[in-house]
Amino acid sequence: MIAFRESPISAHHNYFVNGMLAQGFVVGDPSSNDSFFLLADVVPHGEIRPRISARLMDEEAHLLLELKANRIGRNPGKCSIEPFLDGYRVWRSSGNVLIEVRTRVFANGYLTLIEARLFDEHGHLRVEPKDESIWVCGGECRFLAAPLPEGGSTKRE
Amino acid sequence: MDKGSLLHGVWVFGDYRNYFQNRVTLQLIAKGRGLAETLRTRVTVLLLGEAVHQYAMEYIAHGADVVMVAEHPDLKCYQVESYTNVVARWAEAFKPNILLGGATSFGREFFPRLAKRLRTGLSADCVNLAVDPDTGLLLQTTPAFGGNLLAEVVTSQHRPQMATIHPCVFKELPHNAGAVGRVVYPEIEVKANTRVRVLRSRRQQVQRDNLQDAEIVIVGGRGLGSKNQFKLLFELAELLEGEVGATRPVVLAGWADEERLLGQTGKTVKPKVLISIGTSGALQYTTGIKEAETIIAINRDPQAPIFKMADLGLVGESSAVLPLLLETLRNRI
Repeated sequence: MIAFRESPISAHHNYFVNGMLAQGFVVGDPSSNDSFFLLADVVPHGEIRPRISARLMDEEAHLLLELKANRIGRNPGKCSIEPFLDGYRVWRSSGNVLIEVRTRVFANGYLTLIEARLFDEHGHLRVEPKDESIWVCGGECRFLAAPLPEGGSTKRE
Repeated sequence: MDKGSLLHGVWVFGDYRNYFQNRVTLQLIAKGRGLAETLRTRVTVLLLGEAVHQYAMEYIAHGADVVMVAEHPDLKCYQVESYTNVVARWAEAFKPNILLGGATSFGREFFPRLAKRLRTGLSADCVNLAVDPDTGLLLQTTPAFGGNLLAEVVTSQHRPQMATIHPCVFKELPHNAGAVGRVVYPEIEVKANTRVRVLRSRRQQVQRDNLQDAEIVIVGGRGLGSKNQFKLLFELAELLEGEVGATRPVVLAGWADEERLLGQTGKTVKPKVLISIGTSGALQYTTGIKEAETIIAINRDPQAPIFKMADLGLVGESSAVLPLLLETLRNRI
């Protein structure tokens, strides 16, 4: 027997997570009110921007920021967003980068790379960058085969 | 997806070198889809290399159900030993029913070695593939006995059923940006190759291929008789704004460069008009010209097979016909 990992992918747009292509993934629970989550939602054919939503904490479990489809929501950490040509970067008030999102353009498709070191509401490390991929190091990474319904639960793909 | 759904499928080796010109993998995916639908299974493309994300997406867009990926720095360059090790291990684990590859320079080196490792047969340079409706076996049509007949080969006992297919034999499916599929990353063991070490790799400058893009192609065969007669084809091509191709005997005789070779071991062309002069019409050659819109054949032997596929035939000595043709064209143009 040979072990393997797998995920659903799109011909149009994917993310790079755990060293794998995936058309969408979620870490944590987006339907909760105050716990950590990172949602890289499926980008439908015809759209080119990634869809990142998240509730992000610092190492000491303090809420820093909520992102809703790349837009800043609750922002007790006074973070700021810096857009650039192929993505954006969210800065903490301390001057450190909280999360960086870049979309690479291929001849016929798009690949979004996320760089972040993120903690949950208990101060536990949940994701960290390695090479060009983001790696989930605590809890489960669930892959998505279709866009997640607004406020919906993260039913396993 | 469990292991069971990966078993017994149709596999295609993904040769993505020079991707936007070399379409053989996409053509095999399209053919593989037809075979897989008949056999009620999936098409899986094997993708080995480093940072090959783009190609995984391309193969899904062109009809693959699954892309099986091995990414490792030691797989960045095509090396037959390391590639054989990875694919053989996967094949032993997932037991594909069919394994197809392009009859490219790499495919011709890689597939025989892989077939030997897997203890199965290989039909090289196939010109057609189909599924036998009674047995479900892959019917592999390949030229035999110097191209004088077509043999239908089946691999009845061993698996996978392996075949290499010449580029441009099948048509690729159009790019579908809305397609979705699965990407699978099986574990790999890449052993350092102790016999071959890549010191440096450099991309060869690829120039536009005038021969494959030409609307008019003039092909010379051994029936022209001499290198001097063959040179007249260049004058004819200039008058018609076409390009010159050659058959294998002409290249072996040193009358033309290898880059002008058409057919099974050379290029495939799809011109609007192809003038074939002094060629008998051996299958190894006609494989490369069968997509031409109009074929005009000139040969002294009225029984030459080339006349069976020609739209217009002229029986005569090329040494007599060619000067007349040139003179007429010079006077008219």
